[in-house]
Amino acid sequence: MAAWAIRTEGLTKRYGDVAALDHLDLEVAPGEVVGYLGPNGAGKTTTIRLLLGLISPTGGRGEIFGLDCQRQPVQAHRRLAYVPGEANLWPSLTGAETLRLLGRAWGRRGSGVRVDEAYRDELVARFELDPGKKVRAYSKGNRQKVILIAALMTRADLLVLDEPTSGLDPLMEQAFRGSVREARDRGQTVFLSSHILSEVEALCDRVGILRQGKLVELGTLAEMRHLSALTVEATFTGAIPDLSGVPGVSSVQVDGRVVRCQVRGPVAPLLKALAAADVTELLSREPSLEELFLAQYGGGA
Amino acid sequence: MITWLTARRAVRSGVIFGYIFGAAIASSAISYTRFYKTAAQRDALAAAYGSNQATSALFGPAPQLQTVAGFTVFKISMTLILLGAVWGLLTSTRLLRGEEDSGRWELLLAGQTTRRRAGVQALGGLGAGVVALWALTGLITVASGLDASVHIAAGPALYFALAMASTAVMFLAVGALTSQLAATRRQAAAYAAWVLGVSYAVRLVADAGLGLHGLIWASPLGWVEELRPLTAPAPLALLPIAALTAVLLAAAVHLAGTRDVGAGIVPDRASRRPHLRLLGGPIGLAVQLVRPAVTSWWVAIAVSGLLFGLIARSAGGTISGSSVQVLSRLGSRGNGTDAVLGVCFIILAVLVAFTAAGQITAARSEESAGRLDQLLTRPVSRSRWLGGRLLVTVVVLLASGVLAGVFAWAGAASQHAGVSLPALAEAGVNLVPPATTIAGAGVLALGVWPRGTSIVLYALLAWSLLVVVIGGVGASHWVLDTSVFHQMASAPAVPPRWEANGVMAAIGVAGALIGGIAFKRRDLQGK
Repeated sequence: MAAWAIRTEGLTKRYGDVAALDHLDLEVAPGEVVGYLGPNGAGKTTTIRLLLGLISPTGGRGEIFGLDCQRQPVQAHRRLAYVPGEANLWPSLTGAETLRLLGRAWGRRGSGVRVDEAYRDELVARFELDPGKKVRAYSKGNRQKVILIAALMTRADLLVLDEPTSGLDPLMEQAFRGSVREARDRGQTVFLSSHILSEVEALCDRVGILRQGKLVELGTLAEMRHLSALTVEATFTGAIPDLSGVPGVSSVQVDGRVVRCQVRGPVAPLLKALAAADVTELLSREPSLEELFLAQYGGGA
Repeated sequence: MITWLTARRAVRSGVIFGYIFGAAIASSAISYTRFYKTAAQRDALAAAYGSNQATSALFGPAPQLQTVAGFTVFKISMTLILLGAVWGLLTSTRLLRGEEDSGRWELLLAGQTTRRRAGVQALGGLGAGVVALWALTGLITVASGLDASVHIAAGPALYFALAMASTAVMFLAVGALTSQLAATRRQAAAYAAWVLGVSYAVRLVADAGLGLHGLIWASPLGWVEELRPLTAPAPLALLPIAALTAVLLAAAVHLAGTRDVGAGIVPDRASRRPHLRLLGGPIGLAVQLVRPAVTSWWVAIAVSGLLFGLIARSAGGTISGSSVQVLSRLGSRGNGTDAVLGVCFIILAVLVAFTAAGQITAARSEESAGRLDQLLTRPVSRSRWLGGRLLVTVVVLLASGVLAGVFAWAGAASQHAGVSLPALAEAGVNLVPPATTIAGAGVLALGVWPRGTSIVLYALLAWSLLVVVIGGVGASHWVLDTSVFHQMASAPAVPPRWEANGVMAAIGVAGALIGGIAFKRRDLQGK
């Protein structure tokens, strides 16, 4: 078995002068669930299309389970299933026909890999899809369900998901999360590009953050939180001390008797400063992924 | 707002077609003055075509061939009438139903308007497109009429342009109505195309000298013919044209208000029992996807073949002496039935070539709409997908050719025309190589300039067609050689030229190979 489910080395895609993806080095181990974040146009979809061999890189290379994405796409695709953010399907086919077609295109009887039809039917029931309808008559969310089922039913070693829940309602979003956890428990690798930070936070072991084509952050949420600022909130009865000069402390906000601030690195200097005053309540919490994400893009805390 | 948005696009394509119309008219008129200089030559031409029922059935009657005006009408008007109709139905279904399909229409309707009012505004925009088409055609015709040897006055020139634009108006209205009936752009265009096909068939029978000329009034294309521009103008025939257009437009606007946005009047069944047999892989999918369009083409080819066969004997009987010489200019030799079928098969070749072009644009639209991603991200290689599509295309084309031959034979045999089935089947297969060249060029474009695939295909087709129609009178062989239809021998009038066919097939295969390699290496591209 290959050491990495996904591995890229200096993977680059340029359109003229614009680098849609700039020297991406990324390694995803088998069995990992990795979230891939970034604002619109950061290069998330470009990364995925390069990994799938739909577009070719201007530099560097990518591998899926040790198979070159450009030179061995068919072999690589036997090991993966892909969900795009936009469900472009054949309008004249019904849901059932689409699932049959996509299942047969993925694996056939006799070729060693094939779709488990019982599991497919279970997924159809779980996502409450009416497979007798034509794709033309489906809503956006229902088309997305077809494409999700088509990917999940393969139980492929690697799931590549590009904003897979766009258009799904909260109940279906829960069904999706359940399916991804199932996949992880079975040992499947999941590469999840998403805008929905709570989704990534709930599902992913590691998170990569992309900015203008460059990977600016990659690690577990715990690591990223450790490197990032802690939010501290203190309530005083007496005089409020001046915390602005304390090493590591920033963004001090005073709101009546409550002081909020961010602290980076060791917290000892802040505790010393607080001990001198009359603190009645002290709260501290780790930043949410949303705060980490916004911090990366200069949007606030 | 809606008027402006629609008008902008309608006028743009109206201007392009106006240029094509004008250029075709001007070049017909001028070529006549070059090639038929003396009265004797003109009399011979009139003797050949004046009472020739085969050409009358296909291109309309040919009075006054001794004059530039009469010749121009005969030479070009049927082509322009058909082209105008196709432009009209495609433009209106694209800008009405197509906009609705894409969801843009909903954005407009969310503004301060009603569905009916929006419909009227869009039709106003389409009207601007027709005016552009008519104005440019008229302008170029008037300008070429100023030439001393051509000598056509401004009034008759503008009336001629009006006659040519009138089919565009009627089929714009037909397309507007079918856009209300059908739930998709393709379906709307198909309904309108059927109306056009039936109109042409009725007109063809009326002009075939079978004693059924009264039928001409049963076909909208017949009314245009009865306008008789440049020869014996009869503007009264504008009445049924205007009446039909008004009725169709009123019905379209009425229906636009009664139906839901995005839905059609003819119910599109949302559910059906799955047809799983074909969906085992990319080839099966290709067969399932192209089936509706190919069925329509096959019916069109079979019906045309049958009609041509039916008229061949009686029309062939009118050909004699100088007729044969003139027909030979169109590439047809031999006598009687075979000579007529030789010319008719050029039209069948055009239909087969259109079928080929449709197959390649359908393949490209799989890519541009993003559906191809679904297959190529599974263990399906690009060569397997494209190879499958091309295999289906080749089978479709061969079947189209055989179908053309067999149905022409059936028609001719029913009239005891004394033609053999093997000879006509061979003539049918002879239609395939030009279509192969067109398809190969399309695949080449798909590989190296994907967004231009349909432009390349239809430009090549239109060019080949125009060269045959206009150039038959005697253009330089360098120009003629660029037309795939000119390269094709006019079987069954003459034996097929298998070397030329081999070259055309080889060009097609080479184009497909180079295009296929380029497609394998390039990035997938959406719209």
